Amino acid sequence: MGGIDKLTEQIVKRFRDSGFDVDAKEISKRLNLLIYEFKVPESEAVRTVTNYLMKELDIDREQLAAESPLVRIADVTTPGKWVSLKAKVIQLWDATSPNISQVGLIGDETGIIKFVTWAKAEKEEVKEGKSYLFKNVVTDSFGGRMQVNVNRNSQIVEIEEDVQLPPRELEVVGALIAIQQNSGLIRRCKLCNRTMTKDICPLHGKTEGYDDLRIKGIIDDGKNFYEVILNEDNIRELTGIGLKEARKIAEEKLERSAVLAELKNRLLGRYFRVAGMRGERYLIVREVEFLKQDIRQIAGELL
Amino acid sequence: MNGRKREVARRLFAYEFNRSAHKIESAEERSPTYILTPTGVRCNRVFVVGVLLDREETKPDTNFWRIRLSDPTGVFTGYVGRFQPDALETLLEVEPPELIAVVAKVRHFEGETRSFVSLRPENIAVVDSDVRDYWVYETARLTLERIKAMESKEEEDVLLAWQVYNPDLEEYRSVVKQALQTVIEGAVEVRGEKEEDKEEKWEEEEEKQLEEEFEFEEEEWDLSDILGE
Repeated sequence: MGGIDKLTEQIVKRFRDSGFDVDAKEISKRLNLLIYEFKVPESEAVRTVTNYLMKELDIDREQLAAESPLVRIADVTTPGKWVSLKAKVIQLWDATSPNISQVGLIGDETGIIKFVTWAKAEKEEVKEGKSYLFKNVVTDSFGGRMQVNVNRNSQIVEIEEDVQLPPRELEVVGALIAIQQNSGLIRRCKLCNRTMTKDICPLHGKTEGYDDLRIKGIIDDGKNFYEVILNEDNIRELTGIGLKEARKIAEEKLERSAVLAELKNRLLGRYFRVAGMRGERYLIVREVEFLKQDIRQIAGELL
Repeated sequence: MNGRKREVARRLFAYEFNRSAHKIESAEERSPTYILTPTGVRCNRVFVVGVLLDREETKPDTNFWRIRLSDPTGVFTGYVGRFQPDALETLLEVEPPELIAVVAKVRHFEGETRSFVSLRPENIAVVDSDVRDYWVYETARLTLERIKAMESKEEEDVLLAWQVYNPDLEEYRSVVKQALQTVIEGAVEVRGEKEEDKEEKWEEEEEKQLEEEFEFEEEEWDLSDILGE
Protein backbone atom coordinates (compact mmCIF):
# COMPACT_ATOMS: atom_id res chain seq x y z
CA MET A 1 0.00 0.00 0.00
CA GLY A 2 2.92 2.27 0.69
CA GLY A 3 3.75 2.22 -3.00
CA ILE A 4 0.22 3.20 -3.98
CA ASP A 5 0.26 6.11 -1.56
CA LYS A 6 3.46 7.41 -3.02
CA LEU A 7 2.24 7.15 -6.59
CA THR A 8 -1.04 8.79 -5.63
CA GLU A 9 0.83 11.61 -4.00
CA GLN A 10 2.95 11.95 -7.13
CA ILE A 11 -0.10 12.28 -9.38
CA VAL A 12 -1.98 14.63 -7.06
CA LYS A 13 1.07 16.83 -6.84
CA ARG A 14 1.54 16.92 -10.56
CA PHE A 15 -2.00 18.14 -11.08
CA ARG A 16 -1.83 20.53 -8.18
CA ASP A 17 1.39 22.05 -9.54
CA SER A 18 -0.53 22.78 -12.72
CA GLY A 19 -3.44 24.28 -10.82
CA PHE A 20 -5.92 21.41 -10.77
CA ASP A 21 -7.51 19.74 -7.78
CA VAL A 22 -8.01 16.01 -8.03
CA ASP A 23 -9.50 13.43 -5.70
CA ALA A 24 -6.72 11.43 -4.08
CA LYS A 25 -9.10 8.68 -2.97
CA GLU A 26 -10.30 8.15 -6.48
CA ILE A 27 -6.73 8.00 -7.79
CA SER A 28 -5.65 5.56 -5.15
CA LYS A 29 -8.64 3.32 -5.91
CA ARG A 30 -7.87 3.25 -9.62
CA LEU A 31 -4.18 2.62 -9.07
CA ASN A 32 -4.99 -0.22 -6.71
CA LEU A 33 -7.24 -1.79 -9.24
CA LEU A 34 -4.73 -1.55 -12.04
CA ILE A 35 -1.69 -2.61 -10.08
CA TYR A 36 -3.04 -5.26 -7.75
CA GLU A 37 -6.04 -6.62 -9.61
CA PHE A 38 -4.83 -6.36 -13.19
CA LYS A 39 -1.09 -6.52 -12.49
CA VAL A 40 -0.34 -3.56 -14.72
CA PRO A 41 3.22 -2.20 -14.32
CA GLU A 42 3.36 0.81 -12.02
CA SER A 43 4.48 3.29 -14.67
CA GLU A 44 1.67 2.19 -17.00
CA ALA A 45 -0.86 2.48 -14.21
CA VAL A 46 0.30 6.01 -13.45
CA ARG A 47 0.06 6.97 -17.10
CA THR A 48 -3.41 5.46 -17.43
CA VAL A 49 -4.77 7.22 -14.37
CA THR A 50 -3.18 10.49 -15.46
CA ASN A 51 -4.77 10.19 -18.89
CA TYR A 52 -8.13 9.44 -17.30
CA LEU A 53 -7.91 12.52 -15.10
CA MET A 54 -6.93 14.73 -18.02
CA LYS A 55 -10.00 13.54 -19.93
CA GLU A 56 -12.21 14.15 -16.91
CA LEU A 57 -10.86 17.66 -16.43
CA ASP A 58 -10.81 18.24 -20.16
CA ILE A 59 -7.23 19.42 -20.23
CA ASP A 60 -4.41 18.36 -22.52
CA ARG A 61 -0.83 17.50 -21.87
CA GLU A 62 0.37 21.02 -22.55
CA GLN A 63 -1.65 22.33 -19.65
CA LEU A 64 -0.37 19.69 -17.35
CA ALA A 65 3.25 20.00 -16.46
CA ALA A 66 3.87 17.06 -18.72
CA GLU A 67 6.85 15.77 -16.85
CA SER A 68 8.52 16.96 -13.75
CA PRO A 69 9.55 20.52 -14.50
CA LEU A 70 12.77 20.96 -16.44
CA VAL A 71 15.09 22.88 -14.17
CA ARG A 72 18.67 24.12 -14.16
CA ILE A 73 21.12 22.52 -11.79
CA ALA A 74 21.68 25.80 -9.98
CA ASP A 75 17.97 25.80 -9.12
CA VAL A 76 18.15 22.48 -7.34
CA THR A 77 18.20 23.74 -3.79
CA THR A 78 15.61 21.77 -1.83
CA PRO A 79 15.43 18.02 -1.31
CA GLY A 80 12.44 15.84 -2.12
CA LYS A 81 11.36 17.46 -5.42
CA TRP A 82 10.70 15.69 -8.70
CA VAL A 83 12.60 17.45 -11.47
CA SER A 84 13.99 16.88 -14.94
CA LEU A 85 17.48 17.97 -15.95
CA LYS A 86 19.35 18.30 -19.19
CA ALA A 87 22.92 17.55 -18.27
CA LYS A 88 26.21 16.09 -19.34
CA VAL A 89 27.92 13.28 -17.45
CA ILE A 90 31.21 14.72 -16.26
CA GLN A 91 32.65 11.93 -14.21
CA LEU A 92 31.64 8.50 -13.03
CA TRP A 93 32.90 7.23 -9.71
CA ASP A 94 33.23 3.72 -8.43
CA ALA A 95 29.99 2.69 -6.80
CA THR A 96 30.64 2.11 -3.12
CA SER A 97 27.63 -0.07 -2.52
CA PRO A 98 25.96 -2.89 -4.42
CA ASN A 99 22.68 -0.95 -4.15
CA ILE A 100 24.09 1.72 -6.43
CA SER A 101 24.41 1.07 -10.13
CA GLN A 102 26.08 4.35 -11.02
CA VAL A 103 27.28 7.41 -9.19
CA GLY A 104 29.10 10.49 -10.41
CA LEU A 105 28.79 14.09 -11.45
CA ILE A 106 26.54 15.66 -14.04
CA GLY A 107 26.55 19.29 -15.09
CA ASP A 108 24.87 21.98 -17.15
CA GLU A 109 25.69 25.66 -17.82
CA THR A 110 24.68 26.61 -14.30
CA GLY A 111 26.39 24.05 -12.16
CA ILE A 112 27.40 20.55 -11.26
CA ILE A 113 25.58 18.04 -9.12
CA LYS A 114 26.10 14.50 -7.91
CA PHE A 115 23.76 11.85 -9.23
CA VAL A 116 23.01 8.38 -7.97
CA THR A 117 21.31 5.67 -10.00
CA TRP A 118 19.96 2.98 -7.73
CA ALA A 119 20.51 -0.58 -8.85
CA LYS A 120 16.81 -1.16 -8.28
CA ALA A 121 15.98 1.49 -10.89
CA GLU A 122 17.33 -0.87 -13.55
CA LYS A 123 18.38 1.92 -15.90
CA GLU A 124 20.86 1.68 -18.70
CA GLU A 125 24.24 3.04 -17.79
CA VAL A 126 25.22 6.55 -18.82
CA LYS A 127 28.62 7.36 -20.29
CA GLU A 128 31.12 10.04 -19.41
CA GLY A 129 31.06 12.99 -21.79
CA LYS A 130 27.57 12.30 -23.15
CA SER A 131 24.52 14.49 -22.59
CA TYR A 132 21.18 13.19 -21.38
CA LEU A 133 17.73 14.29 -20.39
CA PHE A 134 17.26 13.03 -16.85
CA LYS A 135 13.47 12.87 -16.55
CA ASN A 136 11.68 12.62 -13.25
CA VAL A 137 14.59 12.40 -10.90
CA VAL A 138 14.29 13.24 -7.22
CA THR A 139 16.36 15.86 -5.50
CA ASP A 140 18.00 14.83 -2.27
CA SER A 141 20.45 16.14 0.25
CA PHE A 142 23.36 14.02 1.40
CA GLY A 143 26.08 15.17 3.76
CA GLY A 144 24.96 18.77 3.36
CA ARG A 145 25.13 18.77 -0.46
CA MET A 146 22.38 18.44 -3.02
CA GLN A 147 22.20 15.46 -5.31
CA VAL A 148 19.65 13.84 -7.61
CA ASN A 149 18.52 10.24 -7.42
CA VAL A 150 17.48 8.19 -10.42
CA ASN A 151 14.76 5.74 -9.46
CA ARG A 152 12.39 3.35 -11.17
CA ASN A 153 10.06 6.15 -12.28
CA SER A 154 12.88 8.13 -13.83
CA GLN A 155 13.88 8.07 -17.44
CA ILE A 156 17.27 8.75 -18.92
CA VAL A 157 17.28 9.72 -22.58
CA GLU A 158 20.45 10.42 -24.50
CA ILE A 159 20.23 13.72 -26.41
CA GLU A 160 22.10 15.09 -29.41
CA GLU A 161 22.68 18.45 -27.82
CA ASP A 162 26.11 18.86 -26.25
CA VAL A 163 25.30 20.42 -22.90
CA GLN A 164 27.88 23.03 -21.95
CA LEU A 165 29.49 22.99 -18.55
CA PRO A 166 30.22 25.98 -16.40
CA PRO A 167 33.79 27.16 -16.45
CA ARG A 168 35.20 25.65 -13.37
CA GLU A 169 37.93 27.29 -11.43
CA LEU A 170 39.96 24.68 -9.63
CA GLU A 171 42.93 24.67 -7.31
CA VAL A 172 44.88 21.49 -6.81
CA VAL A 173 47.83 20.54 -4.65
CA GLY A 174 49.51 17.37 -5.79
CA ALA A 175 52.60 15.69 -7.11
CA LEU A 176 53.58 15.70 -10.77
CA ILE A 177 53.77 11.93 -11.20
CA ALA A 178 54.07 11.69 -14.97
CA ILE A 179 55.14 13.79 -17.93
CA GLN A 180 53.72 12.43 -21.13
CA GLN A 181 55.21 11.96 -24.55
CA ASN A 182 55.20 14.94 -26.89
CA SER A 183 56.11 17.26 -24.06
CA GLY A 184 59.17 19.48 -24.01
CA LEU A 185 60.41 21.27 -27.11
CA ILE A 186 57.75 20.48 -29.67
CA ARG A 187 56.87 21.66 -33.17
CA ARG A 188 53.50 23.00 -34.18
CA CYS A 189 51.94 23.42 -37.61
CA LYS A 190 51.98 27.03 -38.80
CA LEU A 191 48.55 26.64 -40.34
CA CYS A 192 46.60 25.03 -37.53
CA ASN A 193 48.87 25.03 -34.46
CA ARG A 194 48.54 21.27 -34.06
CA THR A 195 51.50 19.37 -32.67
CA MET A 196 53.60 17.83 -35.40
CA THR A 197 55.32 14.46 -35.25
CA LYS A 198 58.60 14.41 -37.16
CA ASP A 199 57.67 17.67 -38.89
CA ILE A 200 54.41 16.24 -40.15
CA CYS A 201 51.09 17.83 -39.23
CA PRO A 202 48.25 15.34 -38.75
CA LEU A 203 46.02 17.61 -40.86
CA HIS A 204 48.32 19.37 -43.32
CA GLY A 205 51.04 16.78 -43.80
CA LYS A 206 54.52 18.06 -44.51
CA THR A 207 54.38 21.77 -43.92
CA GLU A 208 56.15 24.56 -42.15
CA GLY A 209 56.22 24.46 -38.36
CA TYR A 210 57.35 26.50 -35.41
CA ASP A 211 58.85 25.65 -32.00
CA ASP A 212 56.86 25.62 -28.81
CA LEU A 213 57.45 24.49 -25.26
CA ARG A 214 54.84 22.64 -23.27
CA ILE A 215 54.31 19.89 -20.75
CA LYS A 216 51.43 17.46 -20.67
CA GLY A 217 51.48 15.86 -17.29
CA ILE A 218 49.57 14.24 -14.48
CA ILE A 219 49.10 15.92 -11.12
CA ASP A 220 47.96 13.41 -8.52
CA ASP A 221 46.85 14.20 -4.98
CA GLY A 222 46.38 10.64 -3.79
CA LYS A 223 42.64 10.71 -4.34
CA ASN A 224 42.25 12.10 -7.85
CA PHE A 225 44.45 12.83 -10.80
CA TYR A 226 44.35 15.83 -13.09
CA GLU A 227 45.70 16.05 -16.60
CA VAL A 228 47.46 19.37 -16.87
CA ILE A 229 49.02 21.33 -19.68
CA LEU A 230 51.78 23.77 -18.84
CA ASN A 231 52.63 26.34 -21.48
CA GLU A 232 55.89 28.15 -22.12
CA ASP A 233 55.19 30.86 -19.54
CA ASN A 234 54.34 28.30 -16.83
CA ILE A 235 57.50 26.35 -17.59
CA ARG A 236 59.72 29.41 -17.61
CA GLU A 237 58.35 30.55 -14.27
CA LEU A 238 59.06 27.17 -12.70
CA THR A 239 62.42 26.35 -14.23
CA GLY A 240 63.84 29.45 -15.86
CA ILE A 241 63.74 27.53 -19.12
CA GLY A 242 61.82 29.36 -21.82
CA LEU A 243 61.77 28.75 -25.54
CA LYS A 244 65.14 30.43 -26.04
CA GLU A 245 66.83 28.43 -23.32
CA ALA A 246 65.17 25.24 -24.54
CA ARG A 247 66.55 25.75 -28.05
CA LYS A 248 69.98 26.28 -26.58
CA ILE A 249 69.80 23.03 -24.63
CA ALA A 250 68.72 21.21 -27.78
CA GLU A 251 71.61 22.68 -29.72
CA GLU A 252 74.20 21.89 -27.10
CA LYS A 253 73.07 18.31 -26.66
CA LEU A 254 72.33 17.92 -30.37
CA GLU A 255 68.98 16.50 -29.40
CA ARG A 256 65.58 18.09 -28.92
CA SER A 257 64.64 15.37 -26.45
CA ALA A 258 67.34 16.68 -24.10
CA VAL A 259 64.89 19.46 -23.20
CA LEU A 260 62.30 16.96 -22.03
CA ALA A 261 64.92 15.09 -20.02
CA GLU A 262 65.96 18.32 -18.33
CA LEU A 263 62.37 19.29 -17.51
CA LYS A 264 61.72 15.84 -16.09
CA ASN A 265 64.81 16.17 -13.89
CA ARG A 266 63.56 19.42 -12.48
CA LEU A 267 59.84 18.81 -12.14
CA LEU A 268 58.95 15.14 -11.86
CA GLY A 269 58.07 13.90 -8.39
CA ARG A 270 57.70 17.41 -7.00
CA TYR A 271 54.62 18.93 -5.39
CA PHE A 272 52.80 21.84 -7.00
CA ARG A 273 49.93 24.17 -6.35
CA VAL A 274 48.02 24.55 -9.59
CA ALA A 275 45.14 26.91 -10.29
CA GLY A 276 43.20 26.84 -13.51
CA MET A 277 40.04 26.02 -15.38
CA ARG A 278 38.68 22.53 -15.59
CA GLY A 279 38.11 21.73 -19.25
CA GLU A 280 36.59 18.64 -20.75
CA ARG A 281 39.70 16.65 -20.11
CA TYR A 282 42.54 18.91 -19.15
CA LEU A 283 43.06 21.33 -16.35
CA ILE A 284 44.07 24.46 -18.23
CA VAL A 285 46.71 25.97 -15.99
CA ARG A 286 46.58 29.65 -15.14
CA GLU A 287 49.05 29.62 -12.28
CA VAL A 288 51.47 27.01 -11.10
CA GLU A 289 54.10 27.10 -8.39
CA PHE A 290 56.25 24.74 -6.39
CA LEU A 291 54.41 23.96 -3.19
CA LYS A 292 55.69 25.86 -0.21
CA GLN A 293 54.36 24.83 3.17
CA ASP A 294 55.30 25.31 6.77
CA ILE A 295 55.55 21.60 7.26
CA ARG A 296 56.01 21.71 11.03
CA GLN A 297 52.82 23.64 11.43
CA ILE A 298 50.58 21.53 9.22
CA ALA A 299 52.10 18.32 10.52
CA GLY A 300 51.57 19.57 14.06
CA GLU A 301 47.92 20.21 13.33
CA LEU A 302 47.47 16.57 12.39
CA LEU A 303 48.89 15.30 15.66
CA MET B 1 39.42 9.44 -23.69
CA ASN B 2 39.93 5.72 -23.63
CA GLY B 3 37.39 3.67 -21.77
CA ARG B 4 39.36 2.80 -18.70
CA LYS B 5 40.34 5.35 -16.21
CA ARG B 6 43.87 5.96 -15.11
CA GLU B 7 44.62 4.62 -11.66
CA VAL B 8 45.24 7.16 -8.91
CA ALA B 9 48.61 6.92 -7.17
CA ARG B 10 47.75 6.10 -3.56
CA ARG B 11 49.80 7.24 -0.58
CA LEU B 12 50.69 4.81 2.12
CA PHE B 13 53.57 4.19 4.48
CA ALA B 14 55.83 1.17 4.10
CA TYR B 15 54.46 -0.18 7.37
CA GLU B 16 51.00 -0.49 5.87
CA PHE B 17 52.21 -1.47 2.41
CA ASN B 18 54.17 -4.43 3.70
CA ARG B 19 51.13 -5.66 5.59
CA SER B 20 48.91 -5.57 2.52
CA ALA B 21 48.41 -9.20 1.63
CA HIS B 22 45.04 -9.25 -0.05
CA LYS B 23 44.83 -9.13 -3.81
CA ILE B 24 41.71 -7.99 -5.65
CA GLU B 25 41.35 -9.28 -9.17
CA SER B 26 38.42 -9.09 -11.48
CA ALA B 27 37.56 -11.86 -13.90
CA GLU B 28 37.36 -9.37 -16.72
CA GLU B 29 40.21 -9.50 -19.14
CA ARG B 30 42.87 -6.83 -18.84
CA SER B 31 41.20 -5.26 -15.85
CA PRO B 32 43.63 -3.88 -13.28
CA THR B 33 44.59 -5.79 -10.18
CA TYR B 34 44.79 -4.17 -6.79
CA ILE B 35 46.04 -4.86 -3.35
CA LEU B 36 43.70 -4.03 -0.53
CA THR B 37 45.52 -2.36 2.35
CA PRO B 38 44.70 -2.87 6.03
CA THR B 39 43.03 0.56 6.15
CA GLY B 40 40.75 -0.33 3.27
CA VAL B 41 42.07 1.38 0.15
CA ARG B 42 42.59 -0.61 -3.00
CA CYS B 43 45.70 0.36 -4.84
CA ASN B 44 47.23 -0.40 -8.15
CA ARG B 45 49.67 2.50 -8.24
CA VAL B 46 51.50 4.36 -5.47
CA PHE B 47 53.60 7.47 -5.06
CA VAL B 48 56.38 7.15 -2.51
CA VAL B 49 59.12 9.52 -1.39
CA GLY B 50 61.93 8.01 0.64
CA VAL B 51 65.58 7.19 0.93
CA LEU B 52 67.04 4.83 -1.61
CA LEU B 53 69.08 2.63 0.73
CA ASP B 54 70.60 0.44 -1.91
CA ARG B 55 70.26 -0.95 -5.37
CA GLU B 56 71.58 -4.35 -6.21
CA GLU B 57 71.35 -6.55 -9.27
CA THR B 58 69.25 -9.61 -8.46
CA LYS B 59 71.77 -11.73 -10.33
CA PRO B 60 75.04 -10.48 -11.82
CA ASP B 61 74.82 -8.85 -15.27
CA THR B 62 71.06 -9.06 -15.61
CA ASN B 63 70.54 -5.31 -15.38
CA PHE B 64 67.56 -6.21 -13.23
CA TRP B 65 67.76 -4.31 -9.99
CA ARG B 66 66.32 -4.73 -6.54
CA ILE B 67 65.91 -1.46 -4.69
CA ARG B 68 65.21 -0.80 -1.04
CA LEU B 69 63.44 2.43 -0.26
CA SER B 70 62.92 3.61 3.30
CA ASP B 71 60.30 5.92 4.75
CA PRO B 72 60.05 6.72 8.47
CA THR B 73 58.02 3.56 9.10
CA GLY B 74 59.79 0.83 7.17
CA VAL B 75 61.24 -0.28 3.87
CA PHE B 76 59.67 -0.79 0.45
CA THR B 77 61.19 -3.30 -1.91
CA GLY B 78 61.07 -2.67 -5.63
CA TYR B 79 62.37 -4.16 -8.86
CA VAL B 80 63.49 -2.19 -11.89
CA GLY B 81 64.53 -3.61 -15.24
CA ARG B 82 64.81 -2.74 -18.89
CA PHE B 83 61.05 -2.73 -19.31
CA GLN B 84 60.92 0.41 -17.19
CA PRO B 85 63.45 2.45 -19.19
CA ASP B 86 62.68 5.84 -17.62
CA ALA B 87 62.96 4.56 -14.09
CA LEU B 88 66.05 2.51 -14.91
CA GLU B 89 67.87 5.44 -16.45
CA THR B 90 67.42 7.60 -13.36
CA LEU B 91 68.15 4.73 -11.00
CA LEU B 92 71.54 4.05 -12.56
CA GLU B 93 72.50 7.72 -12.14
CA VAL B 94 71.71 7.74 -8.43
CA GLU B 95 74.28 6.92 -5.77
CA PRO B 96 72.53 5.64 -2.63
CA PRO B 97 71.73 6.78 -0.08
CA GLU B 98 69.68 9.44 -1.81
CA LEU B 99 66.18 10.87 -1.46
CA ILE B 100 64.01 9.82 -4.36
CA ALA B 101 60.38 10.07 -5.41
CA VAL B 102 58.97 6.96 -7.02
CA VAL B 103 55.78 6.43 -8.99
CA ALA B 104 55.18 2.71 -9.11
CA LYS B 105 52.74 -0.02 -9.92
CA VAL B 106 52.09 -2.47 -7.11
CA ARG B 107 53.09 -6.08 -7.53
CA HIS B 108 51.79 -8.89 -5.38
CA PHE B 109 53.08 -12.44 -5.34
CA GLU B 110 51.40 -15.23 -3.56
CA GLY B 111 53.23 -18.29 -2.40
CA GLU B 112 51.87 -21.29 -0.63
CA THR B 113 52.27 -19.91 2.84
CA ARG B 114 52.94 -16.23 2.38
CA SER B 115 52.61 -13.36 0.02
CA PHE B 116 54.92 -10.56 -0.90
CA VAL B 117 54.25 -7.04 -2.16
CA SER B 118 56.74 -4.94 -4.09
CA LEU B 119 57.00 -1.86 -6.27
CA ARG B 120 57.57 -1.76 -9.99
CA PRO B 121 58.64 1.84 -10.60
CA GLU B 122 57.44 3.76 -13.63
CA ASN B 123 59.29 6.95 -12.79
CA ILE B 124 62.04 7.82 -10.38
CA ALA B 125 63.22 11.34 -9.57
CA VAL B 126 65.83 12.67 -7.20
CA VAL B 127 64.17 15.14 -4.82
CA ASP B 128 64.99 17.22 -1.75
CA SER B 129 63.86 16.89 1.85
CA ASP B 130 60.99 19.38 1.42
CA VAL B 131 59.34 16.96 -0.97
CA ARG B 132 59.94 14.10 1.46
CA ASP B 133 58.49 16.09 4.36
CA TYR B 134 55.38 16.99 2.43
CA TRP B 135 54.94 13.39 1.34
CA VAL B 136 55.10 12.25 4.96
CA TYR B 137 52.52 14.87 5.92
CA GLU B 138 50.24 14.03 2.98
CA THR B 139 50.52 10.29 3.55
CA ALA B 140 49.80 10.80 7.25
CA ARG B 141 46.72 12.89 6.45
CA LEU B 142 45.34 10.41 3.93
CA THR B 143 46.05 7.45 6.20
CA LEU B 144 44.21 9.15 9.05
CA GLU B 145 41.28 9.78 6.71
CA ARG B 146 41.22 6.10 5.85
CA ILE B 147 41.36 5.14 9.51
CA LYS B 148 38.29 7.34 10.07
CA ALA B 149 36.49 5.64 7.19
CA MET B 150 37.39 2.29 8.75
CA GLU B 151 35.71 3.41 11.96
CA SER B 152 32.49 4.33 10.21
CA LYS B 153 32.36 0.96 8.42
CA GLU B 154 30.34 2.02 5.40
CA GLU B 155 32.23 1.49 2.17
CA GLU B 156 32.54 -1.88 0.56
CA ASP B 157 36.35 -1.97 0.60
CA VAL B 158 36.40 -0.88 4.22
CA LEU B 159 34.14 -3.75 5.18
CA LEU B 160 36.34 -6.11 3.21
CA ALA B 161 39.43 -4.79 4.99
CA TRP B 162 37.81 -5.50 8.35
CA GLN B 163 37.00 -8.99 7.23
CA VAL B 164 40.47 -9.71 5.81
CA TYR B 165 42.70 -7.95 8.34
CA ASN B 166 40.61 -7.03 11.36
CA PRO B 167 43.28 -4.36 11.96
CA ASP B 168 44.16 -2.70 15.22
CA LEU B 169 43.54 0.90 14.15
CA GLU B 170 45.47 2.23 17.13
CA GLU B 171 48.56 0.53 15.78
CA TYR B 172 48.21 2.37 12.46
CA ARG B 173 47.42 5.63 14.19
CA SER B 174 50.56 5.40 16.25
CA VAL B 175 52.68 4.64 13.16
CA VAL B 176 51.28 7.78 11.54
CA LYS B 177 52.08 9.82 14.63
CA GLN B 178 55.63 8.55 14.75
CA ALA B 179 56.10 9.44 11.11
CA LEU B 180 54.76 12.96 11.71
CA GLN B 181 57.11 13.38 14.64
CA THR B 182 60.08 12.79 12.37
CA VAL B 183 59.24 15.73 10.13
CA ILE B 184 58.40 17.97 13.06
CA GLU B 185 61.53 17.16 14.99
CA GLY B 186 63.69 16.88 11.92
CA ALA B 187 64.78 13.39 12.87
CA VAL B 188 65.84 11.30 9.95
CA GLU B 189 64.38 8.00 10.85
CA VAL B 190 62.24 6.38 13.47
CA ARG B 191 64.17 3.46 14.77
CA GLY B 192 62.28 0.79 16.56
CA GLU B 193 63.71 -1.19 19.39
CA LYS B 194 66.52 -3.58 18.84
CA GLU B 195 64.09 -6.45 18.46
CA GLU B 196 62.86 -4.90 15.26
CA ASP B 197 66.33 -4.52 13.85
CA LYS B 198 66.74 -8.21 14.20
CA GLU B 199 63.45 -8.72 12.52
CA GLU B 200 64.50 -6.62 9.57
CA LYS B 201 67.64 -8.65 9.01
CA TRP B 202 65.52 -11.69 9.04
CA GLU B 203 63.19 -10.10 6.56
CA GLU B 204 66.04 -9.40 4.22
CA GLU B 205 67.02 -13.02 4.22
CA GLU B 206 63.48 -14.01 3.76
CA GLU B 207 63.14 -11.71 0.82
CA LYS B 208 65.88 -13.51 -1.05
CA GLN B 209 64.21 -16.80 -0.34
CA LEU B 210 60.96 -15.36 -1.59
CA GLU B 211 62.52 -14.32 -4.85
CA GLU B 212 63.54 -17.91 -5.41
CA GLU B 213 60.27 -19.31 -4.25
CA PHE B 214 58.30 -17.13 -6.65
CA GLU B 215 60.82 -17.47 -9.44
CA PHE B 216 60.98 -13.76 -9.50
CA GLU B 217 61.66 -12.74 -13.02
CA GLU B 218 61.73 -9.64 -15.01
CA GLU B 219 58.33 -8.70 -16.26
CA GLU B 220 57.50 -7.78 -19.76
CA TRP B 221 55.91 -4.61 -20.97
CA ASP B 222 52.75 -3.75 -19.20
CA LEU B 223 50.25 -2.55 -21.78
CA SER B 224 48.55 -0.35 -19.28
CA ASP B 225 51.61 1.90 -19.24
CA ILE B 226 51.43 2.43 -22.94
CA LEU B 227 47.73 3.10 -22.84
CA GLY B 228 48.33 5.67 -20.13
CA GLU B 229 46.06 4.09 -17.58
